[in-house]
Amino acid sequence: MVTLKVNGKEISVADGTLILDAAKEAGFVIPTFCYQAELSSLGSCRMCIIEIGGQKKLQPACITPVLQDMEISTETEQVEDARASMLEFLLSNHALDCPVCDKAGECELQDMVHKHGPRKGRFAEMRETFHVKDYPLSPVIVKNSNRCVQCMRCVRVCKEVVGRGVLGTIGRGAHQEETSFLKGELDCDHCGMCIEVCPVGCFMRRPYRYKSRPWDLNSTKTVCQYCATGCITKIEERDGEVIRSIASKDTEGFNGRMLCSRGRFGHDFLNNEERLTTPLLRVNGTLEPVSWDKALDVIKDKLKKSQPDRVGAVASARLTNEELYMLQKVMREGVGSSNVDASSRWSAGDSEAFIAATAIDGAGLSIDNCMEADTIFVVGSHISDENPVTDYMVRYLSASRRKTVMVASVRPMKLDRSAQITARHMPGRLGAFLAGVTLKLYEENKTKLSGVKGVKSLDGLSIDKLSKASGVAPGDIEAIAKKLSSSQSVSIMAGTDMIRLGDGTGGLCLLSDILKTLDKRVFVLPLLDRSNQRGAWDMGAHPNFGPGYSELKGDTGLDCGAMLEKASKGEMDLLYVIGDDILAMYPDRAFAEGAIEKVGFLVVQDIFLSDTGKVADLVLPGASFVEKTGTVTNQEGRVQPIKPLRKPLGKAREDLNIIADIGSMISKNGSFTGDITAETVMEDIKKDVPMYGDVECDEQGCRGFLIGGVARRSLKCISVGEEDTTELKENKKYPYYLVTGNHLFGSGTLTGSSSMLRKLIKEPTIEMCIEEAKSSGLTDGDMVTVESDGGNGKYRLQTRKKSSSKVVFIAENFNEGSVNRLYKIGERVPRVSVNKGA
Amino acid sequence: MLTDKTLEEIERIKKKYPNTKSACMEALQAAQREKGHVTECDMRAVAEALDIEPVEVQEVGGFYTMYNVEKPKGRHHVQVCRNLSCSLLGAEHIILAIEQELGIKTGETTEDDRITLSTAECLGSCGTAPMMQINDEFHEDLTVDKVSDILKGLK
Amino acid sequence: MENVLLKNINNPGGHTLKNYLAGGGYEALKKTFKVTPDDIIQTMKDSHLRGRGGAGFPAGLKWSFIPKDPTVDKYVCCNADEGEPGTFKDRGIIEYDPHLLIEGMIIAGYAIGAATSYIYIRGEFEFGAKRLEAAIAEAYDKGYLGKDILGSGFTHDMYVHRGFGAYICGEETALLESIEGYRGQPKKKPPFPALSGLYSKPTIINNVETLACVPPIIAKGVEWFTSMGPEKSPGPKIFCVSGHVEKPGLYELPMGTTLREIIFDHCGGIKDGKNFKAVIPGGVSAPLFKEDNLDISMDFDSVMAAGSMLGSGAVIVMDETTCMVKSAYIVNRFFSHESCGKCTPCREGTIWATKVLRRIEYGAGRPDDIELLESICDKIFGRTFCALGDGAVMALRAFINNFREEFKYHIENKKCMVQA
Ligand SMILES: Cc1cc2nc3c(=O)[nH]c(=O)nc-3n(C[C@H](O)[C@H](O)[C@H](O)COP(=O)(O)O)c2cc1C
Ligand code: SF4
Ligand code: FES
Repeated sequence: MVTLKVNGKEISVADGTLILDAAKEAGFVIPTFCYQAELSSLGSCRMCIIEIGGQKKLQPACITPVLQDMEISTETEQVEDARASMLEFLLSNHALDCPVCDKAGECELQDMVHKHGPRKGRFAEMRETFHVKDYPLSPVIVKNSNRCVQCMRCVRVCKEVVGRGVLGTIGRGAHQEETSFLKGELDCDHCGMCIEVCPVGCFMRRPYRYKSRPWDLNSTKTVCQYCATGCITKIEERDGEVIRSIASKDTEGFNGRMLCSRGRFGHDFLNNEERLTTPLLRVNGTLEPVSWDKALDVIKDKLKKSQPDRVGAVASARLTNEELYMLQKVMREGVGSSNVDASSRWSAGDSEAFIAATAIDGAGLSIDNCMEADTIFVVGSHISDENPVTDYMVRYLSASRRKTVMVASVRPMKLDRSAQITARHMPGRLGAFLAGVTLKLYEENKTKLSGVKGVKSLDGLSIDKLSKASGVAPGDIEAIAKKLSSSQSVSIMAGTDMIRLGDGTGGLCLLSDILKTLDKRVFVLPLLDRSNQRGAWDMGAHPNFGPGYSELKGDTGLDCGAMLEKASKGEMDLLYVIGDDILAMYPDRAFAEGAIEKVGFLVVQDIFLSDTGKVADLVLPGASFVEKTGTVTNQEGRVQPIKPLRKPLGKAREDLNIIADIGSMISKNGSFTGDITAETVMEDIKKDVPMYGDVECDEQGCRGFLIGGVARRSLKCISVGEEDTTELKENKKYPYYLVTGNHLFGSGTLTGSSSMLRKLIKEPTIEMCIEEAKSSGLTDGDMVTVESDGGNGKYRLQTRKKSSSKVVFIAENFNEGSVNRLYKIGERVPRVSVNKGA
Repeated sequence: MLTDKTLEEIERIKKKYPNTKSACMEALQAAQREKGHVTECDMRAVAEALDIEPVEVQEVGGFYTMYNVEKPKGRHHVQVCRNLSCSLLGAEHIILAIEQELGIKTGETTEDDRITLSTAECLGSCGTAPMMQINDEFHEDLTVDKVSDILKGLK
Repeated sequence: MENVLLKNINNPGGHTLKNYLAGGGYEALKKTFKVTPDDIIQTMKDSHLRGRGGAGFPAGLKWSFIPKDPTVDKYVCCNADEGEPGTFKDRGIIEYDPHLLIEGMIIAGYAIGAATSYIYIRGEFEFGAKRLEAAIAEAYDKGYLGKDILGSGFTHDMYVHRGFGAYICGEETALLESIEGYRGQPKKKPPFPALSGLYSKPTIINNVETLACVPPIIAKGVEWFTSMGPEKSPGPKIFCVSGHVEKPGLYELPMGTTLREIIFDHCGGIKDGKNFKAVIPGGVSAPLFKEDNLDISMDFDSVMAAGSMLGSGAVIVMDETTCMVKSAYIVNRFFSHESCGKCTPCREGTIWATKVLRRIEYGAGRPDDIELLESICDKIFGRTFCALGDGAVMALRAFINNFREEFKYHIENKKCMVQA
């Protein structure tokens, strides 16, 4: 700690604190342009220069650390003069076109000049201008360089946080301009971080152009629904049209100003004309509008006639905690069935194994805490596409804290460039790869580790064998083991590939046990793709356990796959689907279609008429996340409130109310009647789910991470021996392994209904290794036919560098050409062929 | 596209440094040596060879004044120093004389693409001012007559 | 005085290794290998050799800041960017005696334990770069560079890195950025390059002339070096004289020679018998002197005490016909052209000042332009990121303060006070 004085006020701060931060702590705000906490320091704009006692020159507060007994003055005449001078300089070549600038009203330059002057302009020369005034850099970004203040935040954020580095500073001195290569269209994440960090109206959102002034907007601070990173965002509308979502410095989420392309530009789906606004009942084969009373009557009637074990519910893991809790309660206590699931993509067993391996049933853990460890090891995730903002955080935090990052994945991704070691394993062979790493650690510490549970399963395996089984070179396995062994603390980030492919959970359990036995601190953080996946499990929206991972009193229920199987035999009387599109997601479309057809009565509740909705008997219009109240729990175990911007559209209703109404209709003891709101349900949750006991939500947001101590590890890890360590076999007819997952610009129906995101990805694509493509006579942009035992589809080819030669990727969320057509039930990694031509 | 010779040279340049990015400046110089300027294609090729983003190459190309990015220059690039020492000894007359002789203004290229005329800041030849540089060669202690002879000799 | 640094300046062909060896070349290196690296650093400290790049920082002290940890890579960088207008001494050494520099760099590498060095040479010096590369090849060939040099066990590689037109790359941190393949913009200090320089590794950066002084210091001894010039900045110094003198050129003279001696004794006085008007003593960043300062001893401290700087030792002489407004304009135009664009005051301020000076020069000056210029100077000075902005201001202030009348005349009469 050092003690110093700021404007005469004495304070103590940690060693190495910047003067800027020390002053802030003392209550004095120093104006800045180029400074941005997440970015490397620049100290170039000179807005922050202040006086230090005993030093003649003014010093930049943003790059100068405090020293013991420093006397800092931030409000002297000299400092004020310096600020006014910098602003006068900045204005001298500024476009000064505030009346037509989108940034007016929230422009840092405007605010700063208003506060610090100059009051009078003396610049009488020709301004240095760039001749091209506004030019588009991407479907979502437009640029006007004449307003630039050269803070370089855009260039730095693109490189240091987003990891793309497609923006550069071209030219020198007064002529320099931050832009893309030859001002051309950007091939990037289109995340708009450059827009968010720009203090002036230099980088702007194309969709927002000339649409509004900030003060005309109606807004709500809520949680982005696109992945389980759970970014705080402000969604804003004008005259009923949602026109932007922003994470600005004053929304104050853990994500700061970070959002990805989906989070920043993908919320125009809320305006989509095709939103459902009224219940629809199938009458003589067609869906026709009906009243809510009628709709509920029909359900009541159908439920009465159904056997409890022939009723099931499948909900999207994007619903709120309150809704999911209510749903499982209605199912279990009202209907009397545990057939409730929150995923149509994964089996209950696989998700359970993942929950156990990542200790989701334990306490929450923040990314920030994870990044305290010496080594960060990302496995089973395409974090750069699935959890973009988590990827940003890993990148900039690991760089600024000098941590080692290692990645083991099936596909190449952006994070590879920020990693010190990367290993590319074959699909479904993460387990074999992790077994290799554990084996290496075990061989070197045999005596110490011999007691670890499950370690015996490594006997009889060799690095060589596991290298062949996983496709990772022995050297890479050893390098990763070596790094782990030399680390004091390790954070393992484990992603959805492990559930999707049912792969590696045993290996992960063993690895973390081994590392712990070697006296290392181990943190495991799940990386999830649906915004409330963790919350869904916490709420017991799972066939195998109840709220808080409690043991079920009766039998376990059926997961979505089992329900479909049962349906296919004609044994499902009623299926209640909320927000999930089973036909588009269940990994075997043909089978799902057949099964759904045979469901006695299919109820689909959604905000769009999904493929599944189109074949439903009854469609109920639910509310989007900006039309409801509740909480969601992100992958870290952070509970955050979502707050409404407006009322549900037309006759649509909040999902919680619909579920509760259904419950009250069938409840024998009236437990679902009365005043049911998100708040009252939260009170029940806190009683029923101990880990939520500390969560406090109010106007400001929620406090409290999920608390620990309740981890029951009731869900046991499978052992390594059960992982597939056999050698991979060639398949002449179908040479490629097909993998799937989320796409950076698309993660389901919602993104598919966003016209902005549809501009970023226009058609279904297949990604393939560039060398492999070349040798098969294919080039980037070709139309190809992909065929498997299950079916076929047409896709646009995109080649990728540093990909495994035999692996191809098709995102799971294309509405047209949905990848589940290529899957056959029970098949985790289909083998496919790829041929030129449509 | 860059010639194989240039690409080979880029590989040699890469060996001088612990990372490929450092080779960017000299790689782009090698590219420029091919035809006196660099094009979009050249910059992409350099980026590819060094495994960096094209914009990083353009950043280098745009910062250092000796790169001619997308600006084809004449076969002979005449740069007259206009800094203080040369100016004290009459650089302005030299520039004027060249403009008259060639019928172009500073910054322009003769119609036959023979000569591009520019000015330069101090080229480190102040003891022999005024001076100019033509392509890589220095011409010092200039007089109006001497310049005229030199220009005539440029093919 | 016998030329040491410019020994071969009048000896075409003197740049070869053969000639260098004949003159006792690489003897200093042999001597170096007989003592410890710390001994060399101590010798450098004792010699009081001060950096010839402009700031005059003691070279030995700089070298001693390098951490001793043998597991960390270290670098030697030679600053041959020579951009300060009026300066052409480094080019002289490189073209006429490249091995002197190379030997100096190897010794520096040995002293700090660096296995690699880079010579950052400005792009315009095509000839010099070729010459250096040829000399380095010769040195490799004869075992003065590469693995296990002269059986000493010391290994050192040397590369030429060519700049390509940016004055700012003479600033040491910008130079490092440039070697790393970025735009040459200065980086914040601390950390100083000695701790975190090239590739974030400990690095020393020295000017060509500084490094060229190293072999003679080792070979001839500290006493020889300190026998010249004032105690606090001893040794030989190359002065680059240009402008209105009879015999412009490079002059190797002891530190502390006066401006009057340089201009009138060595350079044959003002050209064409005209009268002296002003002189810039150390490159265009250095404030100019009038007649009354001609007897100043040309060493770092004396010039500084008189309100200017020795800088790179570039003496630019102006006679009575020189228009000071125009000169100020040319100098300022140079700085705004070379401003790297990183920091606000320099980027926006220098170009503004240039525009005001241009309008005065072209007869469109406004009555309060002098105050405006002074105000711009005040707003820049002491607030920039690196010394370029300060240099621009100091030069401009000196022009205005010493020749205010001329500026006034120019504004009022829309023409020069002097007739060229
Ligand atoms: C704007 C600016 C330009 C500079 N240009 C040069 C230069 O061209 N050559 C040089 O040797 N030093 C130059 N310097 C000084 C260097 O930053 C550095 O101090 C010097 O290379 C250190 O070497 P020395 O200690 O041997 O003098 C410049 C400094 C500044 C601020
Ligand atoms: S003072 Fe000038 S040259 Fe130095 S950092 Fe600032 S803009 Fe760049
Ligand atoms: S905020 Fe400190 S210099 Fe820009």
